[in-house]
Amino acid sequence: MESVAKSNPRASSLPFIYTQHPVIGLSPEVLDSYIVGNDPETGKPVIDEILDLLTKSVEGRESAPESTITVDAGPPQVLLEPDTEDNLQRLFYERGWTDGLPIILPTEERVKKMLAGTSASPDEVVGESYQMDTQELVKYTVSNIAVIAVMAGARPEYFPLILAIASTKRSALSPSTTAFASMLLVNGPIRNEIGMNSGIGAFSPVNQANSVIGRAWTLMSICWGYAKLKKTMWSSQGSNLTYNNMCVAENEEASVWEPFHVGKGFKADESVVSLFSGWGMINSPGAASNRSLVEELSIEFAVIPPLNSAATIVMDPEVARNLKEDLVFTTQQDYCRYLSENIKMPAGQYWKTDYIDMLVASQAYQGEEPYASWKKLPDDELIAPFHTPENINLIVVGGEVSPLWKATDYRHGVSVSIDRWRA
Amino acid sequence: MTTEVRYSVMSPEAGIQRVKGGFPTGMGGPPPGMGGPAPSSPAFTKRLDTLENKTVYLVDIGFGGGYNFMLQLQKWFTENMPSVTTIVKRKPGRVFAEDNNDLWEEVKEKGHAVVLGVAG
Repeated sequence: MESVAKSNPRASSLPFIYTQHPVIGLSPEVLDSYIVGNDPETGKPVIDEILDLLTKSVEGRESAPESTITVDAGPPQVLLEPDTEDNLQRLFYERGWTDGLPIILPTEERVKKMLAGTSASPDEVVGESYQMDTQELVKYTVSNIAVIAVMAGARPEYFPLILAIASTKRSALSPSTTAFASMLLVNGPIRNEIGMNSGIGAFSPVNQANSVIGRAWTLMSICWGYAKLKKTMWSSQGSNLTYNNMCVAENEEASVWEPFHVGKGFKADESVVSLFSGWGMINSPGAASNRSLVEELSIEFAVIPPLNSAATIVMDPEVARNLKEDLVFTTQQDYCRYLSENIKMPAGQYWKTDYIDMLVASQAYQGEEPYASWKKLPDDELIAPFHTPENINLIVVGGEVSPLWKATDYRHGVSVSIDRWRA
Repeated sequence: MTTEVRYSVMSPEAGIQRVKGGFPTGMGGPPPGMGGPAPSSPAFTKRLDTLENKTVYLVDIGFGGGYNFMLQLQKWFTENMPSVTTIVKRKPGRVFAEDNNDLWEEVKEKGHAVVLGVAG
């Protein structure tokens, strides 16, 4: 714990004291026992350590030296020692290069075939990733990503999409102690060219492109260093959604609305991948049969209040059609405005949500609206927590078998063009 | 007789450049608060000889549970060192992202010591 707390050069010189864990949600009596109890790192009473640090000299706590820029070109060994498949599978697993599942061994021949899937030079730097434990900036090339793509089981025609994901510099895995999950959405012609599934079972493990492309994002994140337990991975429970990051294509053909990427400013004939992240998702177990969809969503979002009004609702084409043809929401934007005005929850319920208090209350204290006004309301007063309709994302995915949806707190991160990476 | 097949494979780490001390821009960069250089001089204020009749700020950084912990720490001082004045504050600004000079100036002006915490 000490090494982690001090890994930040700005904090390395500070004296730290540790209490027992967790602190959150405990009674005053338990917190009292933590204060007089022992520091788990030193075995000394916490309160004695506090008093000592305030009244006795602080010794042996020199700051880390100022960082200087050094470059390590990485292991020159491009090829590993030849070995049997079993031994190499074990080696990749033990080196921490896999998600625990067997990988496709990245032979030179396979990597070469993968590189044929793009016009980009193998040596072109695709992006860089920051490793918090070592404080290194890791620069990766097209060739590095080709190795990952082979390992994930990709076909060369998937490679431009995988390169586009890598170019965002974003990890599918988070160092948070919470269980972050990510989502990949693909729009445009490439969906059908590579056979992605946007219909029946689109989120199920039945389609090679969906499965493999989502897995490739996780594997590159792992190889960038985001899966080192107690160094860069602290999620107490983790999330199995990160095995393939809900990789899916939008069902543009069946949707009555404009494709998601067009709403983000791309042309309809561009191929685009969009990245989302969040914590919570409710697979709606039933349709809006006895209540309106707004009533259903109000109930569901009551348990996952939004951060900065963000939500992503993934709906079957039947739901979108119903909203447009029966309820006259001509565009997604019309419906998002309606949701923004009509999804309600009590102010007290909102503010007592852990992450809202932690991440939003400070904005209220600084006078930022609408949070400042909401903070003054009685607990039972209703608020409309989706105050910015532009932060609500509507996506159409599904096979028109049942009018169902997924309600998520996912935030849209970025959308990037895939076409720049095509062969 | 069977021949064992041996594969020659590429390392996923081969050729990756590792740059230490430089920080990227955008989302590939370090999280808020981690990007700055280490303080050039880590000098601490001279320690107090005693806490008697001094003012100690107990600053909650905003992580869940921190404020209640500081309230109980304040209670401990009230019961066990009543001459010590304690002031519980929550650090303004976002928990991970913002420093707050106004609060630090207040602590310097009105306080003699500060306890900052606690996460989790």
